[in-house]
Amino acid sequence: MEFLSFLSIDYGTIILVLINTLILFLVIKHFLFGRVNAIIESRQADVSKTYEEADKSMTHAKELEANYNELLASAKDESAEIVKKATKKAQDRSDEIISSAKAEASGIITRANEDIEREKQRAMSEMKNEISGIAMMMAEKIIKKEINQKDHEALINDFIENVGDEVWQQK
Amino acid sequence: MGFRLGAEEVVVNGPKVAFKIFGLNVTETVILSWVVMAVIIGLVLFMTHNMSKDHPSKKQIVAEWIVETVNGMVRDAMGAKNLVYAPYMATIFSFSIFGSLISVLGLRPVTGDFSVTLTWALMTFFMIQYAKIKNDGVLGYIVGFSKPIALLTPINIISELATPVSMSIRHFGNVASGIVITQLLYFALTSLSRGLGMEAFPVFTIGVPAVLSVYFDLFTGFMQAFIFTMLTMANVGAAYPEEEQTAG
Repeated sequence: MEFLSFLSIDYGTIILVLINTLILFLVIKHFLFGRVNAIIESRQADVSKTYEEADKSMTHAKELEANYNELLASAKDESAEIVKKATKKAQDRSDEIISSAKAEASGIITRANEDIEREKQRAMSEMKNEISGIAMMMAEKIIKKEINQKDHEALINDFIENVGDEVWQQK
Repeated sequence: MGFRLGAEEVVVNGPKVAFKIFGLNVTETVILSWVVMAVIIGLVLFMTHNMSKDHPSKKQIVAEWIVETVNGMVRDAMGAKNLVYAPYMATIFSFSIFGSLISVLGLRPVTGDFSVTLTWALMTFFMIQYAKIKNDGVLGYIVGFSKPIALLTPINIISELATPVSMSIRHFGNVASGIVITQLLYFALTSLSRGLGMEAFPVFTIGVPAVLSVYFDLFTGFMQAFIFTMLTMANVGAAYPEEEQTAG
């Protein structure tokens, strides 16, 4: 059996160990570091993707919130508009009712005044006739003579005509 | 190498030559390094087999821890731009530690052969030179030897060559001393057994060497692998530093 000396430099060993080390290096580089780094990188990619998605969701949620706020504001505006419109309509309607009621009332009042006027006229002409009758009778009695009714009627009527108007009312 | 203990001589041999191929010696060391390689490659393939991104198995977690740890150490010692060296550091560390730990099985440690540690130290040496040339350019690399003053040029060259020598001898010496001491201890314990009339069954060789083996095989093996790898990282990293470090 051949032994090398305890402290020796052997070229065969150096070359073969160099080759062995290189082979082991390639295996470790490719199978250990290559595979594990790939896994770690893909995991990191996953994590960053998840973060990205979360950010995206956050942005989307904020957008939705803004939209919602906008909608809410516009709904408020709209409802205010509706209330305003309804109020105006009610106002118009009430104005209309009031004005028609006023017109009706004034019509009623006018008619009533006309009635009153008519009644007054009638009463006045009745009174005139009566007064002229009474005056005739009184004159007949006072002057104790036949009066030509035909001659004096015009005179008396003229007097009564005047009596019924301003002269009487001034008294 | 022989030691004389009383009338007897204890012979501590170098690695045995198993066979020759193209005139090159294929020694015990080389064959055991194949065994070590097979173990490491088997472990690597086992750990990285069927890896899953979302549900890592225990072996995958171990593999990820190893890779992350080595990457972290390389990043700390050499800077992020030297991260490509991480697989090489893992190779040297694992080869060295398994090559030393093989002695637990009673085999000759791979790292107890000066040719092996010299090979690795030369690889480190050429990496340092390559990193320096990459950092300073060819001219800057040559001029770099005469800095800070031209008088120091021989000393700079010697110190450059001293790096692989000291690294290889340190690693070899620590492991080889373990081999020598273990052999001497076996011899002494066998003699003691013989003195007590138990030649057929040397009872003291059971158990006692195991205690020393914890130091020489486990502790030294781990320490030397760690030191060798850290020195490689520090030297190559210093030769190709990060920009901020150069500026600062």
